[in-house]
Amino acid sequence: MHNLEAKERVSMQLHYDVSQHYFHEATLLQDREFSQWLETCVAKDVHYWMPVVERRYVKDKRLEPSPNDMAIFNDNYDELKQRVGRLGTGAVWMENPPSSVRYLITNVQAFHTDHAEELVVLSNFVIVRNRSQLEHSEHVGCRRDVLRKVGDGFQLVSRKITLDARVTEDKNLYIFF
Amino acid sequence: MIDMDKLVDIENSTQSKQVFWDQDIYDLELERIFGRCWLFLAHESQLEKPGDFFTTKMGEDSVIVVRHTDGSLKAFINSCTHRGNSVCTADSGNTKSFVCNYHGWVYSTDGSLVDVPLKEKCYHDEIDMASLSLPSIRVDSYRGFVFGCFDETAPSLVDFLGDWGWYLDTWMVGAGSGVELVGPPMKSILKCNWKVPAENFVGDAYHVGWTHASALEMLGGELGGLAGNRANMPFDELGIQITTRHGHGFGVIDHAAVGIHEKRDGYLKFLQDTLPSVAEKLGQPRAKLYDGHWNCTTFPNCSFLYGTNIFKVWHPRGPHEIEVWSWVIVHKDMDDETKREVVKQAARSFGTAGTLESDDGDNMVNSTRNNQGRHTRANNMDSRMAVGYEGPHPDYPGIVGSSFIGETSYRGFYRFYQEIMSADSWEAIRAKDDQWDDCFPNKDYWAKRLAAKANVGE
Repeated sequence: MHNLEAKERVSMQLHYDVSQHYFHEATLLQDREFSQWLETCVAKDVHYWMPVVERRYVKDKRLEPSPNDMAIFNDNYDELKQRVGRLGTGAVWMENPPSSVRYLITNVQAFHTDHAEELVVLSNFVIVRNRSQLEHSEHVGCRRDVLRKVGDGFQLVSRKITLDARVTEDKNLYIFF
Repeated sequence: MIDMDKLVDIENSTQSKQVFWDQDIYDLELERIFGRCWLFLAHESQLEKPGDFFTTKMGEDSVIVVRHTDGSLKAFINSCTHRGNSVCTADSGNTKSFVCNYHGWVYSTDGSLVDVPLKEKCYHDEIDMASLSLPSIRVDSYRGFVFGCFDETAPSLVDFLGDWGWYLDTWMVGAGSGVELVGPPMKSILKCNWKVPAENFVGDAYHVGWTHASALEMLGGELGGLAGNRANMPFDELGIQITTRHGHGFGVIDHAAVGIHEKRDGYLKFLQDTLPSVAEKLGQPRAKLYDGHWNCTTFPNCSFLYGTNIFKVWHPRGPHEIEVWSWVIVHKDMDDETKREVVKQAARSFGTAGTLESDDGDNMVNSTRNNQGRHTRANNMDSRMAVGYEGPHPDYPGIVGSSFIGETSYRGFYRFYQEIMSADSWEAIRAKDDQWDDCFPNKDYWAKRLAAKANVGE
């Protein structure tokens, strides 16, 4: 799914709909409506992936990371559901009081594919996490999604998340991207 | 002046909170611990071909480890002998040489200086190339795990590991083919003192039920019972804790190797299939550990969970911050699908976005940060759980604690921490090789316990 080829750009209307979907998705995550996010925005056959990207020399011929390699996220639907379930146990001590996580989603470009119901969508993000008194972290990167048209909305079929930082400047990445 | 006897009270099993905060203590750690111990660099599976290199840290020093053209492993300081710039800026790769970006000095994979631009015209051919090699570091490997040491007087790697090597062989040799590490490592920053996670991995199964309550509850299975410490478990019958010479140590929960892995069929089958040959090769005591879950630290800063199979190094960045590097351990003889599943499950639980990893960071940061308060750090930390419930064991070397939950290996870790921080030389440390375990005086603990158990059995 991650390699589904992007064809022509979508119409202005469809681009608007995709953008609104992303802002809605971000709002659900910001509001910690994780179950609703999972149920409405995520397809049952999702692959949610954040590879580990090394700093390599330009001439290095080794292959790009694949989902067979060790990854920071490499989840299917049930695994995402378990992450959401953990947050709902009431026993994640560090999320009480909860963090504030803010999503800035930009540079959205949507493309048709050979599958009528599926779009390839590229976007950039800045995710800012504030915790406790002064704890602050920022995560900048990009996403390559495959979105499926479902009813009036969209569901995530695959998401490849690439962080720009080699070293994560945060104690963990237990947030959704 | 740093008074180690006061900072680490061996007799009463307490440590001053200053050891997590003070800059002068940290500076001495870089000199006496990171400057004198064997530190994990890489695994040979990352360095198979001549020219394969990996850049890492030893304490705060940037280091390159590389497979030289003659097949040997070399390690040297990643800093040009001319003006100090880095000679390698990639994480890993394969190269014939290392070229400094500043003036173009070229070093071979054994660290020797092989080319200098304008050598004839501007140095007038009077540069002493042989004296300008990159400073080399002792390098050795144990079962494929490559370590480096700055100190020429330190014991050999195998002697530094000592009895800990006997335990490591349980799975580093295992049924015969041993293990490899899967990377490239995940890397993240944790604003804590390096000893906080090191001591946690060496001997803290106590926190598992509480800190990780949420993840264990979702996981269920054999470890699910630990969640919230609710289950009534016979802890003394479910595992042991061990500390060995030089501060290494671990705790093991019997038969729980795969407990954290949600999907585990292939992994469990591999362990079951290989267990008989481990028993044959290494004997019953180690076979009993082979399918257990271990929390471990190789002194000072290399920690791992055998079973879950996450492997970590805590690189210090000042007294209040570390870089966490995480790989996954796989048995070489596993089929590819099983390897992939082990990698996935290990990263999922203890990688940067791990369901269990995410519980630990906050505790470690706050256990460090609170010591900014001068009245806070005037106090001590306590590691007295089950003092005296430990001693020499007929089957297992080192000092063995009564249960996997206990603080025996905390006490062993800080006993050696105090010793190496106080010692002027490795000679002084060697002189105590026969008495290091004097601080565990209950020498009959296991003899009595095992005899009592045998009597009940009769």
